[in-house]
Amino acid sequence: MGKRIVLGAVAILLVIAAAYASFYVAPEERTMGPIQRIFYFHVGSAWAGLLAFFVCFIGNLMYVWKREPKYDWLGVAGAEVGLVFTTVVLITGPIWAHPVWGIWWTWDARLTSTFVLWLLYVSYLLLRTLIEEPGRRALLSALFGIFAFIDVPLVFGAIRWWRTQHPSPVIMGGPGSGLDPTMRKVLFFSGLAMCVLMAFLIVERYALEKMRSEVEILKREAEAQ
Amino acid sequence: MSLLSNTAILLGKELRTEFRSRELLTTTAVFILIVLVLFSFAVNPGTEEAREFAPGLLWLAILFASSLMFQSCFLREQTNDTLSSLRLAVSDPFAIFLAKLIANTLFLLLTELLMLPFFAIFYNIPLWSKLPVLILVLFVGSLGISIVGTAISAISAQARMRELLLPLLLLPLLTPVLVVSTLVTASLLDREPIVQWKGIGFLAVFDLIFLTALWLFGEYLLEE
Amino acid sequence: MKNLNSVFAAYLIGWAVFFLFYVSIAKRTSDLRAEVERLKNSLPCAK
Repeated sequence: MGKRIVLGAVAILLVIAAAYASFYVAPEERTMGPIQRIFYFHVGSAWAGLLAFFVCFIGNLMYVWKREPKYDWLGVAGAEVGLVFTTVVLITGPIWAHPVWGIWWTWDARLTSTFVLWLLYVSYLLLRTLIEEPGRRALLSALFGIFAFIDVPLVFGAIRWWRTQHPSPVIMGGPGSGLDPTMRKVLFFSGLAMCVLMAFLIVERYALEKMRSEVEILKREAEAQ
Repeated sequence: MSLLSNTAILLGKELRTEFRSRELLTTTAVFILIVLVLFSFAVNPGTEEAREFAPGLLWLAILFASSLMFQSCFLREQTNDTLSSLRLAVSDPFAIFLAKLIANTLFLLLTELLMLPFFAIFYNIPLWSKLPVLILVLFVGSLGISIVGTAISAISAQARMRELLLPLLLLPLLTPVLVVSTLVTASLLDREPIVQWKGIGFLAVFDLIFLTALWLFGEYLLEE
Repeated sequence: MKNLNSVFAAYLIGWAVFFLFYVSIAKRTSDLRAEVERLKNSLPCAK
């Protein structure tokens, strides 16, 4: 329990430090001005979200292999936390786009792919609500989760190719496209802070799922009596 | 018995079942037709813009039709619990999937070919010269739709609200197929047609990846 | 510098989302604990 509190405290501190760095350490971008500072928060969240979905994927694989409930808990924790970070990406994207291009949604390749990613994992969670029996629910959602994660690179690749055929405003030229070195450092620090926050939220969500599963067992024993 | 011979036997069963009544083929074909007509009301038909939308509308119609078509795929095995008999009959459960997905691909392709003349007439698109490549694109795309659709059908058959769940699970997964197939079809049907081999290659890779995933994990989808 | 408002809005909304998620976990956890207490109290009575 103490470790969790420490992790939470570290996460909050890192997030605040990253925000400070985004505003005061990173230089101002020439063309867009201050609005560009959303970039550190936006991209950091995107990386943390993908990593969370990867954790879900590992949980799914391990569950199909070992059939231990703890991997199912890891899967659902990874999926929910990933969805939270992806939601933040989908909110900060339009907030960034609107002052710059005057429209809320530009069908930018990465943002659109992120939206499909969001839909995939919403479906994962919805699937879980539609299966009663815990063992069946764990197995079937794990299998869908595996298919979903395999699909992710294909979605990003397809939409990126689509955009080369029908170009549209790009929210930020790819990470390596001439990023100022200080900006790059702030970006990585922001990404790190988001990933630590992600780890903390996954730990908390996992603990909740573990408790819920134990209560389920208790309830069934109580009913049996 | 080997995987191939098991698959061939099961495939024969799937095809015979369908061709006895032809209900899946007819309902799917009529559904695509209805969707194509309805889409025409949504866009201004006969205009140049409608012609630009046409490939996308075609693939949307195929996707919607497929999410209906795959409903019965594993549900029909639940009525008399024929799934257990199937699993006992074959040594490799992948044969069941292989047979179903080949059958589904064939049914899908057949309905698409039946719909092509209507599509060409509604949207005033000359197809004849581009037919071979078009059939290739339809095939690679439909194969991908069937592979994923067969797997998802096995999942949704074991959950509640399966009629709504199947499209919900299937359509986001098939985004790459929709995007790339539409692009390739559009370039093909353009005034100056280009064959986008890169796109066809992408679809083939998609098919291969999900076929491998189904091969690795299929047996768990059928667990009791 | 009007764009700075949008940047602040983005950060605040983002943090709010994370905070609300954490609060929802904490609430669900305390609800579960209350349910465990209920179950524990009901078990000896059933006997």
